[in-house]
Amino acid sequence: MARPTLRWQFARSPGLLYGLAATFCAIALGLALLAQRYDFLDMEAPLFLLAIALTVWYMGIGPAILAVVLSSLAFDYFFTEPRYSFYITRAELPHYAVFILFAVLVSWFSEVRHRAEQKLLQSRDELQMEVVKRTEQASLLNLTHDTIFVRDMSDIITYWNRGAEELYGWPAEDAIGKHSQQLLRTDFPIPIEEVRAELLRAGRWEGELRKTKADGSEVVVASRWSLRKDDQGRAVAILETNNDITEHRRREQEIQSLNQELVHRSADLEAINKELEAFAYSVSHDLRAPLRHMAGYTELLQKKTSSVLDEKGNHFIAMILDAAKRMGNLIDDLLAFSRIGRAETQNGRVNMDQVVKEALTQVRQETEGRKIAWKIGALPDFYGDASMLRLVLVNLISNAIKFTRTRTQAEIEIGGSEGNGDDVVVFVRDNGVGFDMKYVNKLFGVFQRLHQSEEFEGTGIGLATVQRIIHRHGGKVWAEGAVDGGATFYFSAPRPRGELWRP
Amino acid sequence: METMNKLGRILMVEDDPKDVELTLTALEEYNLANEVVVTRDGEQALDYLFCRGQYKMRSGENPAVMLLDLKLPKLDGLEVLKQVKSNETLRMIPVVVLTSSKEERDMVASYKLGVNAYVVKPVNFHEFVNAIKELGVFWAVINEPPPGSIRK
Repeated sequence: MARPTLRWQFARSPGLLYGLAATFCAIALGLALLAQRYDFLDMEAPLFLLAIALTVWYMGIGPAILAVVLSSLAFDYFFTEPRYSFYITRAELPHYAVFILFAVLVSWFSEVRHRAEQKLLQSRDELQMEVVKRTEQASLLNLTHDTIFVRDMSDIITYWNRGAEELYGWPAEDAIGKHSQQLLRTDFPIPIEEVRAELLRAGRWEGELRKTKADGSEVVVASRWSLRKDDQGRAVAILETNNDITEHRRREQEIQSLNQELVHRSADLEAINKELEAFAYSVSHDLRAPLRHMAGYTELLQKKTSSVLDEKGNHFIAMILDAAKRMGNLIDDLLAFSRIGRAETQNGRVNMDQVVKEALTQVRQETEGRKIAWKIGALPDFYGDASMLRLVLVNLISNAIKFTRTRTQAEIEIGGSEGNGDDVVVFVRDNGVGFDMKYVNKLFGVFQRLHQSEEFEGTGIGLATVQRIIHRHGGKVWAEGAVDGGATFYFSAPRPRGELWRP
Repeated sequence: METMNKLGRILMVEDDPKDVELTLTALEEYNLANEVVVTRDGEQALDYLFCRGQYKMRSGENPAVMLLDLKLPKLDGLEVLKQVKSNETLRMIPVVVLTSSKEERDMVASYKLGVNAYVVKPVNFHEFVNAIKELGVFWAVINEPPPGSIRK
């Protein structure tokens, strides 16, 4: 920033300055001679002094010395007796000496005065600069959304930014001059003496405070205090920055209470699971025992009476045994189904090509005497439990084998595809009897069957098991089919993390 | 019958009278029923094995095999098994758990306690008969019991 100066700007070159000094003296001389000519007495000394004063004021001490010298010589030559000679009479000497003394004094005072003024101007400039700087800083502080205010060591607010106004509701003019703790009704988590001690010791303090807004509502703020010290190291002010974390705290509390609820519910669930387990155990034990007895005694009866019973009687006994056997199967399936929900899973990368191979080995018995064209494509790897996924495939393949029984040439295709997001899909397709899409929702229910048991045997637990396993994997099952047009069963499950699958 | 001479005593621990009857019937068919001792709960079974209570007077030999149900009044089968397998003289008795339960944890617990065999009672009676017969024949006839067991 250009600093204003009393000295002429154009007179920077010393030659010009000295020239001007000489010119001032010449003008003063000219005017003095003119005055003398018109009988204005004793004008020469003031005029020369004026020239010297102007010179020292505007051109500094160097040209002033020249002006003093020139004025003295001119005064001597033109205005002291004998005139037009540099000789000075004894009588004129004091007069001349006084003149020179005056000239020097004028120069000296003028210079001192000039310096003082210069200094004053300079400090005024500096003050102005400081004001500008501070104003800029203050307006920058106003720009931020953070709440910032400054208070002196007796907690009287001296600065209050826009963020503070927005958060607490008081405009700067209302807040400044107030006691901050009283205005904001600050609630400290620890005694304020400790806060102060920490602030004075470390120069800063951080903590969570509860304050009250102008409208009376409470806010929780993350508060940071910084101590400002002067050049002598004395603490003069505290800058406090506050961030409103009321919402944050509220959410945290919400999360905490949700977590608690979750823990609670988990415990409930665990209890329910335990109950279910006890129930399944009891079913396994207590339901099977009477069944076994019924079957046992019926067989004994059959053995003892088959020779005396007629065909109908024997048929009835056979039906009782058949029903007992079926109920036994149902109980076993139901238990197996309930175990899926309770079983511990061992999740990891599952090579589905391998799983399909194993599943096919497991169902080989069911394909005996059948003509089946297998079409097995490349399958994606899954993330899950291998033995459970094998059970899924065994069920689906077994179904495909069962429901293509009426075909002379059965076709079963197993393939994979990319699913949504992190899922990959495997499907099992057959050209069997299919199903009516109307009943697609019933397919995966427990003990739901779409065929008469004389047609196709089964308890109706297979697809429910498939669904349960896939749901445990976080995947989906769905099916497409048409009556007599074959069926396709799809299931999706997560791929191993961070992998893409391309067939 | 030839096997009769070698028949070992079978200790059956079973609370359900129908199961007892069916098991005995099955064993009878193969002439294995004569030396079956039936105890109806865990406590009674231990009384028998430790020769106390109502069995105070019996001769001290161990049975050739013990058929043990798991779900029993008073002391359950696993507790009986635990006590048998932690006793120096009784631990040599072959124990077959014969139960309705297919529960894996029962099976695991039984094997951990040192059971010799774990058989799930089939619903189908002739399968049940076969199982009992095979068990009886194997443990009471074929298997050479540890010293101190009753053999006729």
